[in-house]
Amino acid sequence: MAAERLSSIVSQLTPGQKPIDTITQKNPDDVVITLAIRTPLCKAYKGGLKDTPLDGLVFKILEQVVRKSNIDPQMVEDICLGNVSDSKAAYYVRAACLAAGFPNTTAASSVNRFCSSGLKAVQDIANQIITGSIECGVAVGAEHMSTGGDRLTRPFVDDIVHSGTQDAADCLMPMGQTSENVGKDFNITREQQDLYAAESFRRAEAAQKAGWFDDEITPITVKVDGKDVTLTRDEGIRPNTTFEGLNKIRPAFPEFGDRSTGGNSSQVTDGAAAVLLMKRSKALELGQPILAKFVGATVAGLAPRIMGIGPSLAVPKILTKFGLTLDDIDVIELNEAFASMAVYCRDTMKMDYSKMNPRGGAIALGHPLGCTGARQICTGLSECRRRKAKVLLTTMCIGTGMGMAGIFVNEQLD
Amino acid sequence: MLEFRTQGFNPYSVKYSPFFDSRLAVGAGANFGLVGNGRLFILNLTANGIVCEKFFETQDCLFDLTWSEQHENQLLTAGGDGSIKLFDIGVGEFPVAGWQEHSREVFSVHWNLVNKGTFLSSSWDGTVKIWSPEKKESLMTLPVHSCVYSAQFSPHHPDIVTCVSRDSHLRVFDLRTKPSAQNHLTLAVPIHAPPKVPIPGYGQGSVGPTECLTHDWNKYRDSILATGGVDGVIRTFDLRVPSGPVNLLPGHEYAVRKVTWSPHLSDVLLSASYDMTCRVWTDGSNVDQGGNGAGLGREMGRMDRHTEFAMGVDWCLFGAEGWCSSCAWDERVLVWDVREYMGPA
Repeated sequence: MAAERLSSIVSQLTPGQKPIDTITQKNPDDVVITLAIRTPLCKAYKGGLKDTPLDGLVFKILEQVVRKSNIDPQMVEDICLGNVSDSKAAYYVRAACLAAGFPNTTAASSVNRFCSSGLKAVQDIANQIITGSIECGVAVGAEHMSTGGDRLTRPFVDDIVHSGTQDAADCLMPMGQTSENVGKDFNITREQQDLYAAESFRRAEAAQKAGWFDDEITPITVKVDGKDVTLTRDEGIRPNTTFEGLNKIRPAFPEFGDRSTGGNSSQVTDGAAAVLLMKRSKALELGQPILAKFVGATVAGLAPRIMGIGPSLAVPKILTKFGLTLDDIDVIELNEAFASMAVYCRDTMKMDYSKMNPRGGAIALGHPLGCTGARQICTGLSECRRRKAKVLLTTMCIGTGMGMAGIFVNEQLD
Repeated sequence: MLEFRTQGFNPYSVKYSPFFDSRLAVGAGANFGLVGNGRLFILNLTANGIVCEKFFETQDCLFDLTWSEQHENQLLTAGGDGSIKLFDIGVGEFPVAGWQEHSREVFSVHWNLVNKGTFLSSSWDGTVKIWSPEKKESLMTLPVHSCVYSAQFSPHHPDIVTCVSRDSHLRVFDLRTKPSAQNHLTLAVPIHAPPKVPIPGYGQGSVGPTECLTHDWNKYRDSILATGGVDGVIRTFDLRVPSGPVNLLPGHEYAVRKVTWSPHLSDVLLSASYDMTCRVWTDGSNVDQGGNGAGLGREMGRMDRHTEFAMGVDWCLFGAEGWCSSCAWDERVLVWDVREYMGPA
């Protein structure tokens, strides 16, 4: 009530200000991003990062944060790692940041909201900056799918499984089954899914060839089978992928349905990404380049059995919070967990496909679970810079039935 | 200039009593009315300055008040919790009657000046309700579908109601008409429409919808109203030619929170604004004063002693014609003579 009275008075003072002007306005207290970088995304089990477990990954990306940002590591007060599979993630990020050049006065923690963990880590650091808990922090998203560990090792206790609440029992559902549920419930055909997947590969291939990923990716040198290798390129992109080729692939989850395949689902991938955040006033004081403004993020819950439709709830929710429409958004990064949900979300929300995933998505690039939320920010902002566009929307579905979305404003327009 | 401090409370509205020439009421809220209690101050102008005769505490901020036309000691308050309360100065510390039908903040209350037996309220819930002090339920609800900041009975006709709202329209309701689908609505005038006669130096085009926070009927010319809102421009309208404003009075730098026509002079009005000034204007219609009838209005003077948003002004009905009272979020109620602030004609 009080908040509404206050905002009605504020709007009486700034008449005619459209929501888009409100979010793009530059205020000293804004949370801004001064660095957004990622490692190449490599195929799990056999790719370039197969021998670099989570602590190694986090160490490498944090090393790059120190190197690329020129920030005095002492200024960073907290590092938040978004990771899904590894219950020891908090140990790893703490040890890795100390080894990467941060002093022991820099704290660390980890968060897990499945596929949105990277975005949740960004939100965690941003919220701390907004409330004044810290002035500068790093959000990392990293996942070593090669190690595994992202599935439950035992079912839930009887109390939960036999609670009579279908939603609770459905939290055990494998992701492939949820994808088939979405395909069936919303009539997304195999053809539509393969067409979507082919386009994702085509876009990613074109982006890679044109060198568009070069300003997002920070090359790292790791050991592969004992030898030092410098990784520079995303490995998931299969050149010359066609609809016909994808259409021949047999279903990946035949016990649940026949529409989702290895070709039209997100790839299993290792990777890490990091975002450096601080207040605008702090960035100006330290001479840090301001890449973008963090506007806000939100989460929405829904039925676990069709978790893929998550963005179709989270996106309207965040747009409403800021009084925006999809027309105000210039670039959309929607995580392609499966072609089924990507097609559903794009068509239900009537997204302009030329704005959505212009560099392909997880189907072509891969989905290292905890990394994706931060990776989308790197890719989305790079695309905004290339197009000289302003507003980025990132969103993903979340296993066990949620969706998350975030809004950023690119400020590098020259 | 006389001053009263509403310590701890930020005033929203000030009104002179129609019965006593030295009595004023001020409605206020704690924390700028955003959250916390409200207080109704009953003030007296005495030889020793302004003295608080009594005050009443309420659960939520008071956004407006109006004196009863029937009973010299009674007045109504418009509450942030959607309630309308009738207080009697001689009776205890609690209201003697209350009505709770609005689902959101009540922004204005007004007593019918002609038939004196009804009053109205307007609310953020998008409705204007007509009430009788004897009945527990409202007599009528007029839907506006947009936050109604200000509503009034016409001082000339007991059944004409006007209101202004967030959607930048001035609506006229005639309660004598049959309800039908129009719900008594006879006119909806877009406040932001371009003026009928171009105002030199102001520009011709429509400015786009602008929230309208206040309006008032002229006390002498029965089809003239003035509105004030978020774009800082006061507009006068003639309901006989309602397609656009007759006169534009720009000058305030921020939103205009209250306008009120003089009870003594047919062309003079007073405004209070978020720019911390209260200004006196003429709409140029008084030929004797150098206006030419159809009139270009102009500012005649301003009082800038308030140090926060000026929220309310009211003319004193009795005595010399220039006295008025203003209240602002600087926790002050000031009583002053506009003639002291008027520049050369």
